[in-house]
Amino acid sequence: MTEADIDDGIAHYAESPRFTEAEKLALRYSELMALNPDQVDASFYGELRRHYSEEEIVELGAFIGFNIGYHTFFGTLKFYPMFAPDGRLVGQEESARIYGAAPASLVAAKK
Amino acid sequence: MPHIEPLKPDEIRDPELLELIRRGEALGVPDALFPRILARVPAQAKALLRALLVSHAEGNVDHRLKEIIRVQLARTAGDPYFGGLRSARAKQAGLNEEEIAAGSGKFENDPRFSAAEKWALRYAREMYLNPENIDAAFYAEGKRHYTEAQIMELGAFIAFHYGMQAFARTLGTGRAATAA
Repeated sequence: MTEADIDDGIAHYAESPRFTEAEKLALRYSELMALNPDQVDASFYGELRRHYSEEEIVELGAFIGFNIGYHTFFGTLKFYPMFAPDGRLVGQEESARIYGAAPASLVAAKK
Repeated sequence: MPHIEPLKPDEIRDPELLELIRRGEALGVPDALFPRILARVPAQAKALLRALLVSHAEGNVDHRLKEIIRVQLARTAGDPYFGGLRSARAKQAGLNEEEIAAGSGKFENDPRFSAAEKWALRYAREMYLNPENIDAAFYAEGKRHYTEAQIMELGAFIAFHYGMQAFARTLGTGRAATAA
């Protein structure tokens, strides 16, 4: 997996050739749960079932919910990864400079 | 009917999972419906239910306050399932619907809440509506009322329950009902 995969998965998954239809639907599930939960309705779950078992859907849904909750909380604590993208152990000040104030592509951070 | 059908009681055989479901039912949060949906993935169900119960019913922050916060969060998340559940333990401790409603309303001017409780209610409200307001100054104010351990306990409780409520909302579980 590359940063380009991650970037596409966040911003351009619907039209990206990197992802299968099943993967695009999972990414949409995540996006909608966070931003537009009313659109995750019976019809949407029906669509999910074309690609995933009930068990996989529950696994995905719980994972997404968990991450929605925790990423918002962590964001308020203002802490950053312990390691730079190149593997160096860094202090929090340097880490904040590397990773920035908001989640972003690590492509620039690696340069 | 939820969008994901819950397992029937006799389809769940893992003793640890059954005990966690029982503990949830005894507390009243969650009732058996959400756990029986999660039970389709037993390993995850156990981890999630354990975390739900521990974060809500254990720790060093007042359970009644956590219950008020939990319902406030469910209303923010738009989740009628968790929003309709009530902790039996909080009710036994005297929590009533008027206090719960006050915690979701204009609590800042409500004399029934202490300054510490108001901070905690604001923490929960702002976390998902205006997270940019939860800054260093906000945490400094929190430290006037709570230890850092209590703040982490509150923050993790808020994060975890809100996340599960966000998921539960999409399941169409609606008003909680005793599972058949």
